[in-house]
Order: sequence, then C-alpha cells, then structure tokens
Amino acid sequence: MHTRPGAWKKHAIGYMFLAPWLLGLLGLTAVPMLSSLYLSFTDYEMFNRPQWVGWQNYTRMFSDPQFLDSVRVTVTYVTVSVPLQLLTALAVALLLNRGVRGLGVYRAVFYVPSLFGGSVAIGLLWQRLFGGDGVFNHILALFGIQGMNWVSSPQTALYTLVVLAAWQFGAPMVIFLAGLKQIPVELYEAATIDGAGVMARFFRITLPLLTPILFFNLVMQIIHAFQVFTPAYVVSNGTGGPLDATLFYSLYLYQAGFVNFRMGYASAMAWLLLAVVAVISGLLFATSRKWVYYNE
Amino acid sequence: MLKKKAAVASVSALAMLGLVAGAQVASATAMRHGAAKKATVTIRFTWWGDPVRNKVYNGVIQAFEKKYPNIIVNAEPTSWSDYWTKLSVQMAGGNAPDVIGMHQFYVTDYAKRGQLLDLTPYVKDGTINLHDFPKAVQDSGKVNGKLVMIAQGVTMSGQVYNKTLFQQMGVPLPKLNWTWDDFIKEATALKQAFTAHGMGNDHWGADDESGAMQPVFNYFVRQRGKNLFTKDGKLGFTFSDLKAWFTMWDNLRKKGVIPDAATAAQNSTASREQSLFVQGKVGITAIPANQIYLYQTDMPNQTLGLVGEPMLGNKSGAFVEGAYLAVPKSSKHPKEAATFINFFINDPNAGKIFKIEQGMPGSVKIDKIVKPLLTPTQQQEVAFIDNRLKLAGVAPNPPKGYSEVATLFTQTAQAIAFGQKSIDQACNDFLKQAEQILGK
Repeated sequence: MHTRPGAWKKHAIGYMFLAPWLLGLLGLTAVPMLSSLYLSFTDYEMFNRPQWVGWQNYTRMFSDPQFLDSVRVTVTYVTVSVPLQLLTALAVALLLNRGVRGLGVYRAVFYVPSLFGGSVAIGLLWQRLFGGDGVFNHILALFGIQGMNWVSSPQTALYTLVVLAAWQFGAPMVIFLAGLKQIPVELYEAATIDGAGVMARFFRITLPLLTPILFFNLVMQIIHAFQVFTPAYVVSNGTGGPLDATLFYSLYLYQAGFVNFRMGYASAMAWLLLAVVAVISGLLFATSRKWVYYNE
Repeated sequence: MLKKKAAVASVSALAMLGLVAGAQVASATAMRHGAAKKATVTIRFTWWGDPVRNKVYNGVIQAFEKKYPNIIVNAEPTSWSDYWTKLSVQMAGGNAPDVIGMHQFYVTDYAKRGQLLDLTPYVKDGTINLHDFPKAVQDSGKVNGKLVMIAQGVTMSGQVYNKTLFQQMGVPLPKLNWTWDDFIKEATALKQAFTAHGMGNDHWGADDESGAMQPVFNYFVRQRGKNLFTKDGKLGFTFSDLKAWFTMWDNLRKKGVIPDAATAAQNSTASREQSLFVQGKVGITAIPANQIYLYQTDMPNQTLGLVGEPMLGNKSGAFVEGAYLAVPKSSKHPKEAATFINFFINDPNAGKIFKIEQGMPGSVKIDKIVKPLLTPTQQQEVAFIDNRLKLAGVAPNPPKGYSEVATLFTQTAQAIAFGQKSIDQACNDFLKQAEQILGK
C-alpha cells in the first residue's frame, strides 16, 4: 500500500481526474473548432469532400442580402436589448437592496425567468402572448387600444424578442445585488451627514463602486446577445421571418449549414462572428480603464 | 491515501452504475421481443408525421415485428418542419436511420450527392417485389436512372373547402374542375357573405397561397406550358409568369378576400390544428389529397369538400406527388431495410393498417384490398386521386438548392404582401437571387 510516491504516478492520477474535462475540451471544442476553421475556406456541402476555395466564403457574405439582413437584425438586437436588460436588472436590484422583507423569495421569483433561458417553451409562450389573438392584445383591448399581430409583423417582431431578453434580467440582477451588498454602509452614512441627497449618493457612490460589476455584466450580456438563437427559431418556426425580421446571425448560420447545405459558408460566418465578438470585447476592455473603478 | 481510495471507489461505482443501467436497457429490449433466441437485427426507421399519423406507422411496425421476430424496428418520427434539417445532419454524420421517408421535392438533394442506396439489386433478388406496381409509379422513384426510393402512396394536390361554412353563408360550392376565375369569384363571394353576416373582420374567403411555390405555383406555371425547373436544373419560368401570379394574389389581398400580410405570416408557421382553415376562419386552402382525413379529424363538426387545383381554361397542369421510402448508403443492414420496405408496400396486413395514409397504394393488389375498408372521407380522397391521376403528368425532379429557392419564393411573396417591395421589383430580385442559388 505504502509505495514510494513516484512523480509520474502523482501526475497520472491528476491527469486521470482531469481526463473527462480534457477529452471534452479536445473532442468537443478544440477539434471541431479547428475543423470549422479549415472548412470555412472550403466549399463543403456536408456529403462531398471539402474543396479549397480560399476566401470565397468570406467575400460572398457581402453580396448576400440575407447575410446583411442578419447582421442588421443582430446589431439592432444587441444595442437595444443589452442596455434595456441591464437597466431593468439594476433598477430591480436597487429596489430589492432596500431591505425588503422576504428578499430571498423576491430574488428567486425575479431570477426564475433567467433559468428558463433560451427554452423552447418560452418561445412558444411568446408566440401566443404577442400573436394576433394573444393575451397582450386582449390587455390592450381593455384600454380600448386596437392591437396588432406583433410577432408576425416585420416592424415589431424583433422587439417582442427584445422584450423577452429584458424580461430575463435575473442573472445580471443577482450579480448587481451581490455588488450592492459589497458597498460599505459607512460611505452612505458619511455622505448623508455631508448633505448628499438620494441622487447624489447614487451617482457619486453606488454607480462608481458598481462599475466593475456593470462591466462584467455588460461583457457577458453582449457576448450572449450576439449568439441568441432559440427564441427566434421557435417564434418564427425556424424561418427568421417575417421578412428576415428575426433572422439572427446564429439563426442564419444554422440555416446556411443545415438547411441549405453550405457548411463551408456557415463555418466562415461562425469565424467572422468570433472575430467580431473578440474585437468588441477587446474594445470594451480597452475603454474599461477609463470608467471602471476598482477599489484597490 | 484513504481519500484517494474513496475517490477511486466512487468513480468505479459510477462506472458500475452505468453498466447496470445499460444491461437493464438491453434486457428490457430482449423482454419486449420475447425470448428471441435467434440473432436479432435492429433497424431504425424515420418518417414525418404528427401523433395521428404516427399511430398508423407504429401499427405497421408492430405487424412487421410479429412476422419477422428477428428484426426489431426502432421508430424515430419527426414533424414535417424539422424532418429535413434533422435528416440532413444525420446523413452528413453517417448515422441516418436504415429506412427513411423520402419526398420528390427533396430526393435530389440526397440522390445527386450519392447518399441513397440503389435498390435495384434488392428488386432483382426478390427482396423487394414490384410486380404489382405500375411502371409509372416505379419510375417515379428513379433519379438519374437509379431506383433510389419506393412509393408508399401516390397523391394529388387539391383545394379543400369548408362545405358547412359555404352552406351557412349561402355561397354555391366550388366545382371539381374549376378555373382561377372561379376561384377568385368563389372566394370573393364567401368574403362578401362573411361581411354581410358581420364576420368580415377575421374571416376570409381563401388562404393566402401566394408563397407556395410547391405545389400551387407549380400548377400555375405548368398550365402556362412550363415547369418550375428545367431538366438541367435552371428556372423554368419567367418574369411574366411570376408577375401574373403575384398580381392575382395581391388583388385578392387588397380586397380583403385573403388574410392581411401579418395574419397570413402567422398562419404560415402555425400547426395544422391552429391554422385559419381548421379554426373555420377561411373557407378554402390547398392540401395534398391524402391529408383530407387529418383535417376532417381536426374538424369533426364540419363537412369538408375536395376540388382540383384551379385550372387555366382547360389546362390543369396536374402532376403526380407522393411519399416514398429510401435506404441511405450508410445503412449497415440494407437487406433488413429492404425486407421492411417490401413488407410495407406488399403485405396485406400492412396495407390494411396503412390504407391510404400517404395516398393511393403503389401496389394495385393492395389498392384492391384497401378500398372496401375506407371511411367516407377516405373514399372521397380515393375518388379524387383516381379522377386527377387521369389528368396528371410527371414534373421534373427539382435540382440541388431547391429548398433555398422555395424559401426565397415565400419571402418574395411576403415582401409583396407587407408592401415592402413593388411586384416588379420583387419579381426581378427573385429571379436574380434564384439564379445565383442554382448557379452555385
């Protein structure tokens, strides 16, 4: 039992425990990623042998009207839904931070929609809520407002999904709440004695001390929003319609690969998305030095 | 040391659990099929269907397993909307089921890429018996001279109308051989009757079928002496055909005879049970004849009628449609798969269960067995298909990229409906993009 502990043995056991994760990383992440990088330079219809075509897949995008639609839809979605969601999350976190009784219950209730995440059931629910015959229109009718078919009108379809994203503010809200709890009470007390009002306390104390949390939430939600897929897929039955109004980037990527058999093109789209998200994250990190305050 | 031991122990315990679970599944499968001592082969079978249809398919599978106790069939049905995306992924991964439901619109995508097994050897060695299949039905399963699929049923498209609704509104019923002018007149009359009854708000004469490249627009172009696609895979119709088509529907939309753009868009992605037609909000919609009983099941309190696709003068443009069975090249049990297909199309018991689920049976013999067993709705269907088959020709198989063009067609129709593009511009854009898709 008590043998000399050879170094290799010590490592072997370490690697053994690491093996499931390592295999997953290699088999499910690294290898597929590298193959998709290769495929993005090929004409690959899933059944044929990939043919090298150079940058053709990348140049093709800019003359593809559906690709341009998908970029427009996704950028609109990210720029509208992320600020909306973060504002909602921060507002609710501030409310809950005022020492409400039964905080745990509220926190859980507000967090639940986030747990549903990108589930199919929620997509279906949304389709019903905002359909021509949906609950939302019935509520509007109570106020004498004539509703419309929100999910199948090109002007409004995307915004029903923005509302969905805003509704799922639970995850950033919980993080904001944790951040708020970290802010020392003495700072507020001192400020109050100095005569600072509610607004001054919020803008001079709360917000600056919360910037690291805000930064974290912003980066995470932007990355998340760029990749949104399920709600649009469910609400539009996989079409991205009406008229490409909900044709998110990832949805078009999926269509290109699995419906239209253009796997090389889809791979190129995936790598472009990765590059864009990386650049945006990089920019955020670069500007963060200007506005994120680390209390060190 | 102790800790390490415990960890190893728990890991191996987990592994054991996995083994036990696996063994349980295996023994359960064995139990389900009796104490079959012979080596059993399991084949997988996928088709498109909803719960009503799946019951019928499962019945055929049970009958097959009874007759061939050494072959187990695992059912993997999928809804129509997800069927083709799922299948394409399975095909690419080389793990598609051994028997797959196939369709004329999609067969080229797979056959031209060499993904389907040529079934000719199994016909030659007698595993699949096609003696009772008319030559035209046999040939409809060929692509590039290879027999890649076998017909489960032959069907024809038509327009189903809600007889009860027409009668309540006092509108004369559509006739079997009607023209586009009749269609417009009937639908308009129904809409006017709805308006007169104060229901004009959310009731319409007919569905918006302008986005349906298959089959309705195909009928339309064939009536004009053309086809959707030429034999060499180019577009077979021109600007003027497109423009005539979209103008006709646009006029109907502007008069409120068909639903507004948003309502139609929602309806186009709704399931059958939630469609405007089943809800009794439109009077006419296009269906393949074999689906009339599905609609009738959903609408027990209404009587439905089936008439042909509207004609142009006396030109019907009709063409044969149907559902097929195929075997992917990747199948490891092609012989068993062929045996299953043969049972499906030739066995009297299978015929009695399947009846005319996908249209008239390909086999003349089965057709005779099935006919006396049909319900009135199904008899209506058979009479319709019999009648239409006399008019029908064969439409060329669509080229690779078909589904992309069909999606583009639907989008073009929507762009016009929502007023985003003029008809001229929409038609021009369509032609340009479709050529790009087919050219690649």
